[in-house]
Amino acid sequence: MRAEILTLALIVGACTWAFRYFPTKANLSAIAPDGLLSRFLAATGPAAIATLFVASALPMLGGGAKLPLVCGVAAVVAVYAITRSVVGATLAGSAAYGLVVWLAAATG
Amino acid sequence: MSQPPPKSSFAAGLITALPIALGYFPIAFSFGVAATRAGLGVIEAFGLSLIIYAGAAQFLALALITGGAPVLVSAFTLVAMNVRHVLYGPALIKRAGADARTRHAWAWAFGLTDEVFGAALGALARGKVRFSEPFMFGLTIGAYASWLSGTALGAFAGGGALEGWPAVDAALGFMLPALFLALLLSILSRAQLPVIAIAGGTTVAVTLAWSGTAGILAGMVAGAVSGVLGLGREKSGRGKHAG
Repeated sequence: MRAEILTLALIVGACTWAFRYFPTKANLSAIAPDGLLSRFLAATGPAAIATLFVASALPMLGGGAKLPLVCGVAAVVAVYAITRSVVGATLAGSAAYGLVVWLAAATG
Repeated sequence: MSQPPPKSSFAAGLITALPIALGYFPIAFSFGVAATRAGLGVIEAFGLSLIIYAGAAQFLALALITGGAPVLVSAFTLVAMNVRHVLYGPALIKRAGADARTRHAWAWAFGLTDEVFGAALGALARGKVRFSEPFMFGLTIGAYASWLSGTALGAFAGGGALEGWPAVDAALGFMLPALFLALLLSILSRAQLPVIAIAGGTTVAVTLAWSGTAGILAGMVAGAVSGVLGLGREKSGRGKHAG
């Protein structure tokens, strides 16, 4: 395993473990609900995930066919709305995307 | 007045983990394939899953590694992405009750992913299980085992495993945006819409004007700053957590 990949994994793994473990012991009620830290914590997750969704989907808009992307996104939203399952919505979106690609290849 | 159910066992945790494990396996498989396609070895792909164990962050790690981003920049980006996990522990313990033991949380909390948190919280809320550390170990180990085995199989299959299956290849390629979108939906609240809009808009603008890596960093920072400035504040209480 290359040193830089191991270093990256250890830094991120240790921080992620800390994020998951220490709050189970901490009394977060001590944090002021309207304080800067509270607002930062509340905004960081949505900001990070929104950023990463846009960054990962953006290259898919560069090609000619946008129908698979539209169908994939629609499937994620629809399945999440029905099941409230992140895993289920992810798999449904992926399956819809692949299905549209397959149909386009079969008919085109 | 009905008695609370007895504290749930390790086996109950494993059973609760079953749907997560079924969903994790193909996502982890696609990660293993993507990692080897990006030039990582089997051990490196498996190592990322073993040590980081955060799906979206691992996929992004591949992009950052292959993009040649410096280790510290990559680490900052990935750590920032996982900050949301600090909200899960308090929410879970609050639901578990004041007498919940967390003596071994240092071990089971490693596996407190978005989906594990959601499954645990949902099971506790429905009253089907009662919090216990063996239950949490069953839940987290079941999901972790699926993630590791999927990664290993995908990495062994290799980046060329899907060359004859373009539709499957395309489907796996959409797994990452689909995961991010589903995660986004799971934490969505009306109050956070400005944060999300600013983060997304900034990402598009900076990516088009400069580069993808700069766009990711700028989007996260702009979104977080907008939250600090009060654009993502709830009128009463907090937004709902991820599932």
